[in-house]
Amino acid sequence: MSPQATAMIEVERLSKHFGSFAAVDDVSLAIRRGEIFGFLGPNGAGKTTTIKMLAGLLKPSGGRIRIKGIDLAASPVACKQITGFIPDRPYLYEKLTGIEYLQFIASLYHLPLDRFEANSEQLLALFGLTEWRNHLIESYSHGMRQKLIMASVFMLEPPVIIVDEPMVGLDPKSARIVKELFKSRARSGTAIFLSTHSLEIAEELCDRIAIILNGRIRVIGDLAALRQEARLEHSDLEEIFLELTGAYEVREVIAALKGMQSHDEEEA
Amino acid sequence: MPGKRPVLLAPFRHGVKNRFFPGNSLPFRTLAALAIGILVCLALYRIGFRVVTYFHNQNELGIILSLKIFQMAWVTVFAMLVFSCMVSAVSTLFLSQDNEIVFAAPITPRELFFMRYITTTIYTSWMMVIFSLPIFSAYGSVFKAGPLYLPLTLLAVFSTATIASAFGMTVTVGLVNLFPARRTKDIILYLSICFGIFIYVMFRLLKPEDLVNPDKYSHFLDYLSSISNPAAPYVPAAWAANLLSLYLLDRQVDWLLVGLMAITPLALFFIGEWTMDRWFFSGYSKSQESFGGHRRFHHLFRYRPRAWLWVFRKEAKLFLRDSAEWSQLFMIAALIVIYLYNFKVLPLDRSPIKEEYIANLIAFLNIGLTGFVVASLSARFVYPSMGGEGGAFYVVQAAPISMGRYLLAKFFFYAIPFTALALILLVFSNHLLKIEGPMWWISLVIGLVITWTLVGLALGFGSLYADFKVENRAAALGGIGAILFLFTAVGFELMIIVAGGIPVYRLVVKNLAGEAVRTGDLLMLVTWIGASILLSVGVVLFLLKKGIRRLEEG
Repeated sequence: MSPQATAMIEVERLSKHFGSFAAVDDVSLAIRRGEIFGFLGPNGAGKTTTIKMLAGLLKPSGGRIRIKGIDLAASPVACKQITGFIPDRPYLYEKLTGIEYLQFIASLYHLPLDRFEANSEQLLALFGLTEWRNHLIESYSHGMRQKLIMASVFMLEPPVIIVDEPMVGLDPKSARIVKELFKSRARSGTAIFLSTHSLEIAEELCDRIAIILNGRIRVIGDLAALRQEARLEHSDLEEIFLELTGAYEVREVIAALKGMQSHDEEEA
Repeated sequence: MPGKRPVLLAPFRHGVKNRFFPGNSLPFRTLAALAIGILVCLALYRIGFRVVTYFHNQNELGIILSLKIFQMAWVTVFAMLVFSCMVSAVSTLFLSQDNEIVFAAPITPRELFFMRYITTTIYTSWMMVIFSLPIFSAYGSVFKAGPLYLPLTLLAVFSTATIASAFGMTVTVGLVNLFPARRTKDIILYLSICFGIFIYVMFRLLKPEDLVNPDKYSHFLDYLSSISNPAAPYVPAAWAANLLSLYLLDRQVDWLLVGLMAITPLALFFIGEWTMDRWFFSGYSKSQESFGGHRRFHHLFRYRPRAWLWVFRKEAKLFLRDSAEWSQLFMIAALIVIYLYNFKVLPLDRSPIKEEYIANLIAFLNIGLTGFVVASLSARFVYPSMGGEGGAFYVVQAAPISMGRYLLAKFFFYAIPFTALALILLVFSNHLLKIEGPMWWISLVIGLVITWTLVGLALGFGSLYADFKVENRAAALGGIGAILFLFTAVGFELMIIVAGGIPVYRLVVKNLAGEAVRTGDLLMLVTWIGASILLSVGVVLFLLKKGIRRLEEG
């Protein structure tokens, strides 16, 4: 069986232009069932644009996206039915309560009653939101909102999860829970497309990683393949990332900052 | 530090420039809005000119009556400006998202007041300025006013707008401090109730129906003196009205009033700055404590996996839990009462034309009037409903529900209350006018077609020009999409009403005369209704499709 046949997310020559600027240019990827796929890149490299296109929020300028073999452009509703999306900023309907928000999401995805009841209660308890379920979302903190969005997506048990910066605003305990949830969902066959700036998370969770630079995929593969590409056999992901994204000047800046610090100490 | 004040206005200045002249160009939509705006102003001038000429040609009583209406218009506009400034000030002063950046910077509350004062004045009064100037110019033309009329009118409009704004904002800063922190966000609710009562009381005190009923006065001279009295001397809007009335009649300038109108805005501005310096921080601090975290809600309904049901429920909950939104129902109720009351006191028996004819004519024009009410309420509630989803709209975009279905659910959500509103206005006014027969049915059918079209248009324009970053729903009304919606809505209505004049006239005249209706006349009426429905469906579908495409493209 070819990798394409088992791919949950297939991206072929995807591009997005804003005027003459190519935010995403000729990106091709395939993510398998049960795989956690990391998507890294510096600021403005095209990560969020790619993610928005995968979630059906942004129309591509060119290329094709298939979710479980279904063409996203031709059947957006069918693709969205099997995709859960977690954005980086937790915008929610402020005047709904937590449980009402979950009901709203569940009804949009036609989640059966028994699954809603079992999953929502379990996830609210897991994220420590049970006490807050009947309070308006406007009174939630940033982290609580992020956890509510996570709960709403995990509740749906979608075969594909697309997530942008999953740990922003989460306390260490919640971050640990989220990581374990990702791992367990992946073990049960869910494909997870995860964009992050945190190299530790990528290193810990991801089976394969792609690095995007100026809208184009710079490298794709597991950590070993990335090390080989960067010709840094025993380095961690941070070194590899800096090498592959051409951030040589960062080293010079760090050296200069260190120099300034020692100079200050001498003067003191 | 006066140097910071222009800097504080930079975001607003750049925002306006980027909205209307993106990339230093003059896009088609800006030109279109400008052209339509000029056309509407010309139409208003023409209508104003005709109406004032009609009064002017009657006799001295007509002239005084037209000036009385002039004074009432000024006072009403001023009251509305004060109210809308107070509502906006709660948002702009205390709830703006940029407060965290601006107030954390080394900026004094006085400088912040300057920034909010300028922007709030522009947001709340631009429409009044643009649409009142043609009407006031019409007065000038009919009365053949002297060369000072235009500068005096400009001073009056500018002064009224700035006084209303400074007064409204100062009162709001004070009021926010009087409320307990938890209720601060509900302040608009109390303001709305006060305004509803105020409008009602003001209208009752003015007794507009007495203006057309000299029999109420024992002597004609009593009547004449009652309507020729200058308006209240302590209301700034009345200064404007009195100043301009005096100049229109006698070409005399009351320099005391000119002085008052020039100095009062400045004085109020400085009082506002002082109030802000004294009380802003404690009010701002309170407003941040007023989230709804203390309340628990009990959901009465069990979960059902039906998207339609939940789209309805979500809209209803968002509306009913936002006191800034639902509190406006009080104002709508006050408007309905005043609207219907006007029909009750119409002196139809005094008309030189036969009572049934004039009643039918008014019932026909009432279709348009109902449409205007629906258009303005759609602009306030339906148009901002898409942009009002804010950042949370990604939830709908990412969900397995097509944008068409989502918009359809929204359309029905708003169409239901608007249908009820139109039915109340049409059925009750028809009842008060004692309308029966074909006119009753025509007003109902065309009234509902117009209502549904306007709701659809508001949703279409709202989707096409949705601004998901706008801070409150009322602020969306200042956008180009809202202006285009209002112009299109008024244009559509006028087209339907004007086109229906002849067929309805023929049918009603035959009916009132007890004659049999000719097939040709009936055919003409059916063609008009059919064409209206076709036009309505076509326009709404066109705009909704454009809106859907825009939302889907992200």
